[in-house]
Amino acid sequence: MAILVLGAAVYFAANAEFRRQRDAGIAGESVELARTFTTEGRTELLEAIATREAGGSAHPYGYALFDARGRRVAGGLDTTRPSAGWSDIVFHDPEEGPDPARASATSLPGGEMLVVAVDSEPLEQIDRTILTLFAAAFAVVLLLGVIGALLLGGYLRRRLARIGDTAQAIVGGDLARRMPIGSRNDEFDALAASLNAMLDRIQQLLDNLRQVSSDVAHDLRTPLARLRGSLEEALAAPADRLPLKQALRQSDELLSLFAAILRISEIEGGALERSFTALDVAELARDIGESYLPAIADGGRTLAIDIAEGAMVRGDRELIAQAIINLLDNAQAHTPAGTAITLAATPDGTDVRLSVADDGLGVPETDRARIARRFVRLESSRTTPGNGLGLNLAAAIATAHGGTLDFADNAPGLRVTITLPGMPS
Amino acid sequence: MRILIAEDDDGTAGFVEQGLGELGHAASRVADGVDALHAGTTETFDVIILDRMLPGMDGVEVLRRWRAAGIRTPVLLLTALGGIADRVAGLEAGADDYLVKPFAFAELAARIGALHRRPPISEVPTSFEVGDVTLDLLTRHVHRGGREIRLQPREFSILEQLMRNAGRVVTRTMFLESVWGFHFDPQTNIVESHLSRMRTKLNEGFDHDPIETLRGIGYRMRACA
Repeated sequence: MAILVLGAAVYFAANAEFRRQRDAGIAGESVELARTFTTEGRTELLEAIATREAGGSAHPYGYALFDARGRRVAGGLDTTRPSAGWSDIVFHDPEEGPDPARASATSLPGGEMLVVAVDSEPLEQIDRTILTLFAAAFAVVLLLGVIGALLLGGYLRRRLARIGDTAQAIVGGDLARRMPIGSRNDEFDALAASLNAMLDRIQQLLDNLRQVSSDVAHDLRTPLARLRGSLEEALAAPADRLPLKQALRQSDELLSLFAAILRISEIEGGALERSFTALDVAELARDIGESYLPAIADGGRTLAIDIAEGAMVRGDRELIAQAIINLLDNAQAHTPAGTAITLAATPDGTDVRLSVADDGLGVPETDRARIARRFVRLESSRTTPGNGLGLNLAAAIATAHGGTLDFADNAPGLRVTITLPGMPS
Repeated sequence: MRILIAEDDDGTAGFVEQGLGELGHAASRVADGVDALHAGTTETFDVIILDRMLPGMDGVEVLRRWRAAGIRTPVLLLTALGGIADRVAGLEAGADDYLVKPFAFAELAARIGALHRRPPISEVPTSFEVGDVTLDLLTRHVHRGGREIRLQPREFSILEQLMRNAGRVVTRTMFLESVWGFHFDPQTNIVESHLSRMRTKLNEGFDHDPIETLRGIGYRMRACA
C-alpha cells in the first residue's frame, strides 16, 4: 500500500515537473523567435527556423509559421493551425505518422502565427518508465511480502502446533507433559515457560486434591464403619439403648469432622481476609489461657501463661482463638497427667509469636514435618480422641494471616509456635 | 408459643414440627420462600425458624424483607453451610440466632426458648433475681441469701446467662457463643470446668443447688422449690 502511494506521488510529481520544464522550453523558444521577428524581421525568423530545424537532435522542437488564412508558410511541423496560446496538437511525423505534441502558438504582428511544438513522446516515455519501475518494484515487494508471510506463518503455525500438541496430550491425560522451550528465548519460549509454571501449579493442586480425596475416603470410612456397627448392634438388641447412644455420639463426631474439613477449605479458600480487623492477640491469648486454666487443672495438668503486653495483628479474632485453642487441646490430649503446659505470646521484631509448649513426651523430629498434615495421627495417639485435623486447621489459620506454624523440641516435650506478622501500633 | 417453620426439607421440617408439638408449641410449616414471606407478613408468630436456602426466595432475602417491613419477630436462621462468611451475612440481614444443620433438637428448643423471652431493647434489665440468688449487672455483684458470692468474670457471665434464661435450658454452645464469642466447639470442655467452679462457690454453705445439669444438653437454673 505504502509502495503504491509512494509510486503515485513520485509519478505525479515527476510528471508535473517534466511538463513544467517542457512548457518552459517551448515558451523560451517562442519568445526568442518572436523577438527575432520583431527586431530583425520576417526573413531572419524564417532563417532562424530553418537553422534550428537543420540542427537535428540538439533542437527537439518543431516549428511552423502560419499565415492569416491558416496556411503553413514555413517550418517542418506538419499540422493545422491551432488557436493562440497553449494546446495539445497532433502533427504528422514523416516517419511515424500522426503524433501528439505540445504546442504554443504566438500571434505575430501582421497576422501570422508562430507555432513551437515538442513531441510528447519522450515525456510519455519517461512516464512509462517510471510506471514500469514502480510496477516492478511493487511486484517484487508484494512477492517478497507474500513469501515472508507464508514463511512466518508456517513458522508460527509450527511453534503453535507444538504447544497445541502438548496441550492436547495433557487433555488426553498425559499430565506430566510440558511445553517445549526452545533456546531462542523469544516470546514463544516465555509463553511456554509461563504455561509450564501454570501446569506445575495445577499438578500440585491436583496432587493435593487427590491426597485429600484419598484421606477423606480413608478417614471418613472408619468412623462411618463404626457408626454402622453401632446401628447394627442396636437393631440386634432393641432393648439395649447403649448402642443407639453410641451411634448418636459417632454421628456427632462425623459431623464435627465435616465441619473441620469445611472450615479448613473455607480458610484455605482465602475469602475471609476482608473480615480481618486490628486485634490484640496478647489480650486474646490471655483470655483463652484464663478460660483454659480450670479445665486444664481438672485434667491434672498445669498451665502457665506468659504474655507480653500489646501485640497487635490484623486478623480474625475467632480464627486466631481457634488456632490457639487447637494447640491447647492438643497439648492436653497427647500428654500424660502432670504435664506442665505454657502458653506464651511474645513480640519478635515486627512479628508476634504465639506458642504452646509442654514438657511431655514430645514428637520425634522425623514426625514433626508430618503432624500438621491433614488426618495425620501418630501411632502413639491413635487411641486418643480427635480427628487429626486440629494442627492442620491451626496451620491453615496461620497461613491465612500471612504467618507460619512451626514445631520445635521443647527439651523435653513439644513447642508449637504460630508466628504472625505484627501490625505497627 | 406460635412458631413458623420455613423449611423445604420435609424430613427436617417434620422432625422439628413434631418436637415442638411435643413441647406444647403450635407450629405452622411452609416449604417455600414466597410462602414464608407471606406467612410471616400476614400472621403473628412468637418465633420464626427460617431455612437459609428456600426455593422461590432465598431465606436471607425473606428475612431482609421482613425487617424492612418492620416485622421484629425473633428469627432463628438454619443453614447447611457452616462458613464464617455465611453466619455474618445471616446476622447482618437481621437474624437473632443462627444454627448449623444438622442440629440436635434439644439445641434448637433451647435457642427458641431463649429467643422468645428476649426483651425489647428498651427494657434491658440491669439485675436478675432467681430464688434467693440476685445478680447485678451494673455493680457486677452476686448475692445469695444476703451473702455476697465472689465470682471470676467468666463465672459471672455464665451465671448471668443462666439467670437471664431462668427456667430454660442453656446449652454448651450457647455459653460458648454468649460468654466467649466462639462459634466452634473446642475439644476441651471449658464451659463445664467454669460452671462447676461457679456452682461450687454459689452453693457453698447452702444445701440446695439451683442449677440443674441436663446431661448432653446443657444447664438450667430454677428457683428454689
